[in-house]
Amino acid sequence: MTPNAASASSGPSRRSFLASTAVATAAVAGGMPLLAACGGADSGSREGTTSGKDAKKILPAYVASNVVTPDIPAKNGSPIGFTSKLDLTTLKTSVPKKLGKGGKVTIMSPFWGSPPKQDNPYYKGMNDLIGVDVVWQNQDGNTYDQKLGAVLASSDVPDVVVVPSWNMGGKIPSAIISKFADLGPYLSGDAVKEYPNLAAIPTDAWQRCIIGGKLRGLPMPQSYVTGIVPLYRKDIFDKEGYEVPRTADEFLALAKEITNAKAKRWACLDMKWTAWQMFGVLSGSEKPLGWNLVDGKMINRIETEEYLEALEWTRKLFAAGVVHPDALMGKNAPDPGPKFAAGEFLIYSNNISQWWSRTAEQATQNPEFKIWGMDVHGHDGGDPTVWAEQPAGIFAYVNKKASEAVIRDVLAVANVTAAPYGTKEYMMTNYGVEGTHYTVKDGVPIKTTAGNNQVMNAYVMVASPAATLAHPDFPEVTKAQVEWQQRMGAFTKKSSFFGQMITEPARYTNLSNDFEQLEDDITRGRKKISDMQQAVSDWKKKGGDQLRDWYKKLLDDNGSAAS
Amino acid sequence: MSNSTVPRSGTEASTPEKDGKTPVVPPGGATGSGRGRGQGKLSLRLRFRRDRVLLLMTLPAVLLVLLFNYVPILGNVVAFQEYDPYISDNGIVSILNSPWVGLENFQRIFDDSAFWQAVENTLVLFFLQLVVFFPVTILLALLINSVVRPRVRAVAQAVLYLPHFFSWVLVIAVFQQMFGGAGMLSQLLRQHGYDGLDIMTDPNTFPFLITSQSVWKDAGWGIIVFLAALASVPQDLYEAAAMDGANRWRRIWHVTLPALRPVIALLLVLRVGDALTVGFEQILLQRDAVGPGAAEVLDTFVWWNGVRNQDFGYAAAAGLVKGVVSLGLVLVANKVAHLMGEQGVYRK
Repeated sequence: MTPNAASASSGPSRRSFLASTAVATAAVAGGMPLLAACGGADSGSREGTTSGKDAKKILPAYVASNVVTPDIPAKNGSPIGFTSKLDLTTLKTSVPKKLGKGGKVTIMSPFWGSPPKQDNPYYKGMNDLIGVDVVWQNQDGNTYDQKLGAVLASSDVPDVVVVPSWNMGGKIPSAIISKFADLGPYLSGDAVKEYPNLAAIPTDAWQRCIIGGKLRGLPMPQSYVTGIVPLYRKDIFDKEGYEVPRTADEFLALAKEITNAKAKRWACLDMKWTAWQMFGVLSGSEKPLGWNLVDGKMINRIETEEYLEALEWTRKLFAAGVVHPDALMGKNAPDPGPKFAAGEFLIYSNNISQWWSRTAEQATQNPEFKIWGMDVHGHDGGDPTVWAEQPAGIFAYVNKKASEAVIRDVLAVANVTAAPYGTKEYMMTNYGVEGTHYTVKDGVPIKTTAGNNQVMNAYVMVASPAATLAHPDFPEVTKAQVEWQQRMGAFTKKSSFFGQMITEPARYTNLSNDFEQLEDDITRGRKKISDMQQAVSDWKKKGGDQLRDWYKKLLDDNGSAAS
Repeated sequence: MSNSTVPRSGTEASTPEKDGKTPVVPPGGATGSGRGRGQGKLSLRLRFRRDRVLLLMTLPAVLLVLLFNYVPILGNVVAFQEYDPYISDNGIVSILNSPWVGLENFQRIFDDSAFWQAVENTLVLFFLQLVVFFPVTILLALLINSVVRPRVRAVAQAVLYLPHFFSWVLVIAVFQQMFGGAGMLSQLLRQHGYDGLDIMTDPNTFPFLITSQSVWKDAGWGIIVFLAALASVPQDLYEAAAMDGANRWRRIWHVTLPALRPVIALLLVLRVGDALTVGFEQILLQRDAVGPGAAEVLDTFVWWNGVRNQDFGYAAAAGLVKGVVSLGLVLVANKVAHLMGEQGVYRK
């Protein structure tokens, strides 16, 4: 519902895991967040958030564990980066004893790409390593929001359900609160020390797992710096002598220069997500992130001038005919990968993980191919204002009907998938089995076709270590990714509800359902900017103004986590 | 085509007349089958005894209809609730515990411009499909029927039927490859100095796009019933007409078409009952490409609000409105068929 790209950024940013399609695309909908009891950990209230002392009581203890020292330490909120070669023969073991008790756990999760068969060597190898028989229900990530509501409404909910925050629209937060188990007894405080890799997950990521006053989720931590990057074909730019644009006008002019429809070349796909960044529009990846206190008044992103300006600029791109026609298809457009590789368009906005995954995909067949990320500038060429994303955006929840044995098995899975870089568990989770999924050449692991097809975004969804960028096969890409996020991190600001998991009152949950659709109607010329202004004024009357008061009170009561 | 993939409990439940009629007719039909005795004279018990075997045979079908068509109708009560399926693990318990809101959902619907837009789009698509689809199928059937060589005929039929078995995803991908902004046609035009065409993403021509897709995919399949009807036209009628000097066109006009009339009337009535169901999956897949202003129809409206936004009470109310209107339409169409002297779907 609310738009946003941002969300996308999130999930996967740290990993290559999105091998093929974008999470970003998936992120279709904005998200809504969550919840919890203002009142106290055990109150039944479903609205609001849990912070301060109440949160402290249920958060897991933090015990740092860095097996390998990062080559690029975190700065400005960036992930840590590893660029030097890893000695694969001396990998550490972070899980000395199998914690799994051999039970069976079914997991439903969004999947970007074609899911492998259940009995593939990667799933088998992981299950052996963990000691739990994980059965996957991989669903298309791009349309996950369309299935989630129905699955949660049934009486047959899988043992574990992975929910990205951008899919938490409508009544999903209320479903999470009533259908999923409180993991507090297993993880709060020192209890987490039984699972050392989970104890090493940063506290701000755990904070986001508290919903309905209880610790319910297992997090996939991410950098709070945006992971939506304007990616471009550096090889073609260099060859043609194109310069990376520094202003919104330059971008448009360059796009016109690049486009030659007759030769089947367009400049870009839908650049709406980049427009948000250039014009400094508040994040739309989660409803609470879209609110910010300005001069004592709570303002929503859709009420800002920047929002309209960004839409207008995006509209101009479409109107100028520089956008590849596929982008008009919206969510049902084909995977942009092959057409980007074919040079049908040169720029698109997507998750930072594609910087690496597209590189790896094309490395052997297309040695010329070079994908790179553009820095985002302010629309006038000045410094941009980039709004922070949340420190965790994808969560795994355990069915409340699950027995203690099942919950323990799930935690055993999470403890393996959250192993830090430099361990055998990390290697297995991210690269698979040596010889089958990757081969080692000059000390560098190179994924095989089986590796590219099977070792995708499944296990990493259960829980992940602190945001990490490590691609031993392409260290220069890793370095560029981390540095991009560090530069953007310097311009990143946190809005009022950064870091919190907030659940809006039920009567407002459907208020902004149609804004993303309206944005797309406007950028594609089907509706006018004035229609948006009308929609915003209707939104205020139908509850937007009351929602504003509700958020203001929440901020007054709980304070802000943003500093 | 409409009941594939996505769950649409609201709509399915609310259009019982569609499937309900089949099994309901047989008991009545059996009794009225005229064995020379006035049915009014037999007591219910006697009639029951006489027909017990037939009744027994219909029993399984009746049970299935009750279970899958009538029981779910009860779920429509959520249209009068602020229904939250997540408050318990059991749908019935959730219904019992959800607050009642009276007609509020209906009020919202009638105030919702998006709903009326969906109604308008649905009707436009329905009429267009009716006007284009029907004549095309009849024409195709006549054409195929006139092919004498069995081998040619078999091949032609196979080619015509085949697209029916493609999924919509595939059909739309093919259309996109051919007619999309970067598709074959557009590139061909550009290479010859013209502008590319925006066929797949132009909201103004969307109804025509949808209709031509259904014609391409399903017109071949639609001719089957007509072919069967054509096969039953007695050859001697044609011979007699030919003897009287009727040429080909006159034979079609005076012999073939009158023979098809009952079938056409029946299919029309059925189609009208389905009027508000204009192709859920096909439209959903292309909704983004043209925006909901052009592509939202009643079924996608229900889906979007119910499944996507979890506003189930609201969606159920919209589905219920659709069901009631469909029922009205089928009654009217049936009446019209009777006035035209045709049998229609049923007769009292």
